[in-house]
Amino acid sequence: MINVLYLDDEEHNLTSFRAAFRRYFKVFVTTEPSEAVRILEDNPIEVVISDQKMPALSGVEFFELIMPDHPNPVRMLLTGHADIDAVIDAINKGHIYKYISKPWNEAELRRLVEEASELYLMRTAQETQVTEYSERLYSAESKLKELMSEFNSSSELSSDSKERYIDKINKILKLMEVPLD
Amino acid sequence: MICRNVIKKLYVLFLLGALFSSETIAQKFIGKRLELLTPSVSSQSAITPNDLEDEVWVRSKVNVPNLGNTDNWFWARLDLDPVTEAGLNVEIAYPTIDSLLVFMVCDGVISSIGVAGATVPKSSREQLLGNYPSFPIPVVDCNELTCYIRVWSGKQLLLPVRIEGSRKLLSDGHYRNVFFAIYFGVVIALLLYNLFLYFSVRDKNYFQYVIFIVAVGGTQLVLNGYDRVLDLISSPWWSLRMTHIFGILSGISSILFVRNFLHLKSNAPIYHRIFGWFYIPYLVAGIILCMGYFNVSYDVINVSSLSIILLIPASLKVWRSGDVSAAYFLVGWLFFIIAVVVFALKDFGVFPYNEATLYALPIGSAIELVVLSLALGSRINQLKKDRQRAREKELNTSLLNEKIQIEQNIRLEKSVNERTFELTQINDSLQATLEDLRSTQQQLVQSEKLASIGQLTAGIAHELNNPINFVSSNAQSLKRDFVDVKEIIDLISNIDAESLTLKEDYLAICNKMSDLDIPFTMNEIDELLSGVEEGASRTTEIVRGLRIFSRMDGVETVPANLNELLSSTLIILRSNLKDEADVLIELSDNLPDINCQPGKLNQVFMNIITNAAHATIETELPRTERIVRVRTRLVKDEQKKYIQVEISDNGVGMSEEAISQIFNPFYTTKKVGQGTGLGLSIVKGILEDHNASIEITSKVGDGTTFLLSFPV
Repeated sequence: MINVLYLDDEEHNLTSFRAAFRRYFKVFVTTEPSEAVRILEDNPIEVVISDQKMPALSGVEFFELIMPDHPNPVRMLLTGHADIDAVIDAINKGHIYKYISKPWNEAELRRLVEEASELYLMRTAQETQVTEYSERLYSAESKLKELMSEFNSSSELSSDSKERYIDKINKILKLMEVPLD
Repeated sequence: MICRNVIKKLYVLFLLGALFSSETIAQKFIGKRLELLTPSVSSQSAITPNDLEDEVWVRSKVNVPNLGNTDNWFWARLDLDPVTEAGLNVEIAYPTIDSLLVFMVCDGVISSIGVAGATVPKSSREQLLGNYPSFPIPVVDCNELTCYIRVWSGKQLLLPVRIEGSRKLLSDGHYRNVFFAIYFGVVIALLLYNLFLYFSVRDKNYFQYVIFIVAVGGTQLVLNGYDRVLDLISSPWWSLRMTHIFGILSGISSILFVRNFLHLKSNAPIYHRIFGWFYIPYLVAGIILCMGYFNVSYDVINVSSLSIILLIPASLKVWRSGDVSAAYFLVGWLFFIIAVVVFALKDFGVFPYNEATLYALPIGSAIELVVLSLALGSRINQLKKDRQRAREKELNTSLLNEKIQIEQNIRLEKSVNERTFELTQINDSLQATLEDLRSTQQQLVQSEKLASIGQLTAGIAHELNNPINFVSSNAQSLKRDFVDVKEIIDLISNIDAESLTLKEDYLAICNKMSDLDIPFTMNEIDELLSGVEEGASRTTEIVRGLRIFSRMDGVETVPANLNELLSSTLIILRSNLKDEADVLIELSDNLPDINCQPGKLNQVFMNIITNAAHATIETELPRTERIVRVRTRLVKDEQKKYIQVEISDNGVGMSEEAISQIFNPFYTTKKVGQGTGLGLSIVKGILEDHNASIEITSKVGDGTTFLLSFPV
């Protein structure tokens, strides 16, 4: 089930949202931004939805707040105020994926959340892949360093040993998939 | 010019000729036959030749002995030939000897005595053959005939002696008389002429000149002995002094004349002063003369007369500074100067005594008098010409001025016309601009109205989004929840009370209820229903508020309650204000309705409350500390009642200057592009329509309070 977090200052909105989507997603709701941050930390939230007009801070400000620590969850702005400045800010500063106006169309909102979740998976998968690659690269690099120092420290080498070394180096380079030229 | 040069050259030639021929003329004087006695104590007191004893006689070396200018008695002795020279005359050709005694001594016995000179009374004067005294040589039978001459003069003393027959003497005297007659004729003519000019032109220069002529003429008269010939002066006291007097008069009058003619005071002040000093020696000479020091006086006069030479540089200077008549002046005086110099130097012995030196002075003075008359005449001409020129110049200038004035007038008119045209054009364009401005202003007012309406609409739309969301979303969720509940109810309704599987059925129901999480669902249904309620009621409120403000176009007033109006405004602004400031409302209960235009008042409240909220944002206080307070109350003041609406904030506040200008159209403290600046000016207009007043209290940093008072 997709984990969705919804932040809004009006209780009624939260109730409506949860009632509408609890059967399809795992819905977390709160009126407090601090609470929302805690939920993000404790749970693997895939989609974060926020209202724009809130007393403590605006939706865009909230997104700006969470982005450094939680870049992966997909952000969406849900608001009844079609303020063009806010939209521009949302896109440029908040890096939102989608903007939805109230009153929402349930089917559409559902579809958007599903899309967002896919995007999240893609991001995280990418991240994992990137992390894997980094790790492999790092280990290969350290192995290469070892070989190089062995090669340098040995005073006399037979051609056989040399060949063996060169073999190993080539294998590592292949691992790294670094173009040789 | 040419005339001048010619005269000059002729005169010089004449002088030179005269000087060089001096010897031939002088040869007739028998000075070399004279024996002179050097003055001694005994010779001074000797009255007759008999008194002279053992004196030393010195023969004269020159034809005309110069006995100098001394107070001494001089004796001279002349041996005559009794045979050849008897019947002739001894002539002493010097008219100014003051005391002259001639003794004819025949063989030691005085034969005859002759007297002449100023000291001789009129009655005993010998008949003169001309203006020179002469003494007949007696016809006596003598072996030795000597002529003794005793002389004294208070002036320069010369002894030009000759022996000549009476006829010759007479005719010579005749020629002399004619010459001098002509001379005096010229002098008198000039005198009368200049006198006449003086009376007609009234220039004192002429009078001074007349006096000068008198002096010069008089000097010549006396120097040549004509006063004695014509017997003009009877008193010896005067006679002795006549020469000196005329000499002084000449000197003084010439200084006077020169100074005035050349206007030395202005043209050459130095010369003016120097000439002025020369009055003194002449006056001193006069005083000495009165006291009887004739010779000293004569010397002083002679020396002072040389001052006339200063005239040359003085008149040159004046001539160079532009006065043409000074040239004439100079020429005239040059003749006279040369004449005077020659005369003086003859006395001092530099020039010999002869007719040239003698006649130089009258000729020179005559020429000078004529030329000076011409000079004076030319001066008049000059003056006339100058005056004429000045008048012509004035005329020209005034004509030119007239012309310039006319031209100026034309130009002025032209430029006035141009200016008028320009101003008319400017006025027209200003009018057009004014029209443009007015229409622009109207457009802006209109757009402000539309903007406020737009703001209202947007506010309403935003405000409705949430309530509508509640209703529509919750409705769908309620449907789903109801489906779950319906399932259970269906299960329940299918239970057969008689069925054997009653317990299993009941358990199945319980399981289903748990699966569907019915307790949660029930709770949710309550919440959703409450949400629907909330949404519906909010919507109603907003619509009601709209209804109140829908009466926007009317000019007529309707009774309305300000509390209601304020509440509606706040509902509309609710979502805007949500993240701007906390709004605290204190509405008094006892407000009566007043006649107003609700739509316009809504604009007023919306404007002021929005401004208040924005002011709090500018403080950068945290959201929860930003407060806008809205209060109403009824106030009684004497007989009148007012409803006060107070909107205050804890925003940035306004400066004195801002407060005074806040209602001015287009005045805004916001950045360019944010707001037209017309809001509060329109607010003021609306309040004036309602006879309401507005008062602003504000302090920078503290916040602002708007106090509106509506009369009831």
